[in-house]
Amino acid sequence: MFNLFKFLRLSAAEVLDGDWRYYAWMSGLALLSLAGLNAYSVQLVHGLGTTGMSDHVSWGLYIANFTFLVGMAAAAVMMVIPVYVYHDEPLHDVVIFGELLAIASIVMCILFVSVDLGRPERVWHMAPPPLGKFNWPDSMLSWDVIVLNGYLFINAYVAGYLLYMKFLRKEPLKILYIPFVLLSIVWAVSIHTVTAFLYQGLAARPFWHSSIIAPRFLASAFTAGPAFIILTLQLIRKFTAYRIADAAMLRLRNVVQVAIAINLFLFASELFKELYIPDEHAVHMQYLMFGLHGHNGLVPWIWTALAIEAVAIALLMLPASRSMKWLNLACVFAVVGVWIEKGMGFIIPAFIPNPLGEIVEYLPTLNETLICVGVWAFGFFIYTAILKAAVPILTGRLRLGGVPYTAEAGMEPGGIPKPDFGAGFRPQGARWVDPGPPGR
Amino acid sequence: MKNFSRKQFLKTAAGAALVMATRVFSTPLHAADKFFREPPWKRKKPYWGFAVDITKCIGCGRCADACKTENEVPREAFYFRTWVERYIIRRNGEVNVDSPNGGMDPFLPPHDPETVTKSFFVPKLCGHCENSPCEQVCPVGATFKTEDGVVLVDRKYCIGCRYCIQACPYGCRYFHPVLHVADKCTLCYHRIKKGLNTACVEVCPTGARMFGDLSDPKSAITKFYETETTNVLKASMGTEPKLLYKGLDKEVR
Repeated sequence: MFNLFKFLRLSAAEVLDGDWRYYAWMSGLALLSLAGLNAYSVQLVHGLGTTGMSDHVSWGLYIANFTFLVGMAAAAVMMVIPVYVYHDEPLHDVVIFGELLAIASIVMCILFVSVDLGRPERVWHMAPPPLGKFNWPDSMLSWDVIVLNGYLFINAYVAGYLLYMKFLRKEPLKILYIPFVLLSIVWAVSIHTVTAFLYQGLAARPFWHSSIIAPRFLASAFTAGPAFIILTLQLIRKFTAYRIADAAMLRLRNVVQVAIAINLFLFASELFKELYIPDEHAVHMQYLMFGLHGHNGLVPWIWTALAIEAVAIALLMLPASRSMKWLNLACVFAVVGVWIEKGMGFIIPAFIPNPLGEIVEYLPTLNETLICVGVWAFGFFIYTAILKAAVPILTGRLRLGGVPYTAEAGMEPGGIPKPDFGAGFRPQGARWVDPGPPGR
Repeated sequence: MKNFSRKQFLKTAAGAALVMATRVFSTPLHAADKFFREPPWKRKKPYWGFAVDITKCIGCGRCADACKTENEVPREAFYFRTWVERYIIRRNGEVNVDSPNGGMDPFLPPHDPETVTKSFFVPKLCGHCENSPCEQVCPVGATFKTEDGVVLVDRKYCIGCRYCIQACPYGCRYFHPVLHVADKCTLCYHRIKKGLNTACVEVCPTGARMFGDLSDPKSAITKFYETETTNVLKASMGTEPKLLYKGLDKEVR
């Protein structure tokens, strides 16, 4: 118990410590989060009328971001499966970054749903009985509450347990985490499936009422998630001592390659079904792709998404993206493309035209955008903080019993050359240094 | 036990599990529910229903106005529990629909009147569906159906997630700008409980709107349901609204 306390204390100290770039980054994120909080207080006082949403388009950017982030959370499974089912070597050391991304993503998901509520002070009504009144199993939203919180718990537990064991310099007990890892595979698929069913189950919105939505969500999640993790890994190896082989990036590149191809294929399939024999339900797709009766607010969005996704898939399929520079570009395009496709390209067109045939377009307001930026900044803040503590534990620098490297050894245990801390981290401060025996 | 192989055991176990799962899950699910029961108005008294005779509606919009007054619906032009639409069908097949302030403002004469083949008014309101999707999707059970067949929202419990607004195929729900909860037609529940008519029926000058007890075989509404040629909106959705229209045109959504 004392060790756990020490683990938390040293991790917290690690989060609070960094060079000027780290402080600048975190301060910037904190400022943006506070700006978002301020915007949210405006919304709290004046209601959802401060957003661009209306009775015609009654879900907007909040729910769009929520949907996208559920996918980012689910994407951790694309590293868990290779590592724990197929014992993939290159990904073994980085799988935990996927799990940590899942934690940060779910936190953002919960925030995005919360800011979307008209009566946030009643959010406890969604808690299981006897506290709340849970319309389970009827409402897909109540399922979503269960699976998202469950997924948050599973990932926090697995990642926390593995990091703690690493900190204690002990072998993790398989029985204590492998069952949860296997559960997390099923659970990851379930969170995005349930989120898809949330939309798919509404006969009133023909644009969503399509059996292909759940597979599409999974394909787009497995495009954007691993692409985002590639970008994260690039930053981790640039700014920290943690060694990540190119092989890990290339393995994730394979995942993105396949997923983006499936994603575009499923989108094309949907497009064909809607436009080849356009029935009365095809108006939403027509509005999205070409505009309807002179209204074409979403047309630039969807074509941008498709264009950059096309560039991304071309880059990913070409050998060029074996070089990290092109791979990074492809990943940025894939993430942004999917974000547009799942937000402005999926949530909004379902409302336009509305069930009565009226066309009311949607554009987020400044206040609404600020709240979104704030939530994203807070998510990045959390993710950076978790990584800041996790990386030194993984390199073995932060651990029970002191700091493993010494000036004379110049080496990390295991013969890894001593990292250059000048790049991103100050060398160990004097606060908890206890030189102890070098190495294990 | 001698002939009971492992394969058979597994088969039996799987079968039993399937039966149990079906039992457990089918009870609360709406879709499964409706196959096991007769219409509720055969069992429950009273059970309210509504009907509209489109051929009688003159588009005066007094129903929309009375509803807003009776139920303190916000006066802005987007919030309606009931409203009147005007359909104008032209010779070339073009359909124009308008509803100036829900029908409370005067309908202006159509442009190019010589191209108009027919025009009619369609009053709309919540159908208090038997399989109401809004009730199904509410995560906290704030939307519920009363014993006498009225779909209501508990304003003190609704969290304002607006999932029900997406689920309603008829656009009958709106987000209350002051209370920040979902709101809709209550069938004037506070009035009908006292034996009064709903406000909209009360003020309708032509008797185009009808309201009554479906469980009473002698009531006018039962007679209307049983003898008139009627239709419901978006029947393919399977929501089974208790809002029947007489004279419903194919162009009405």
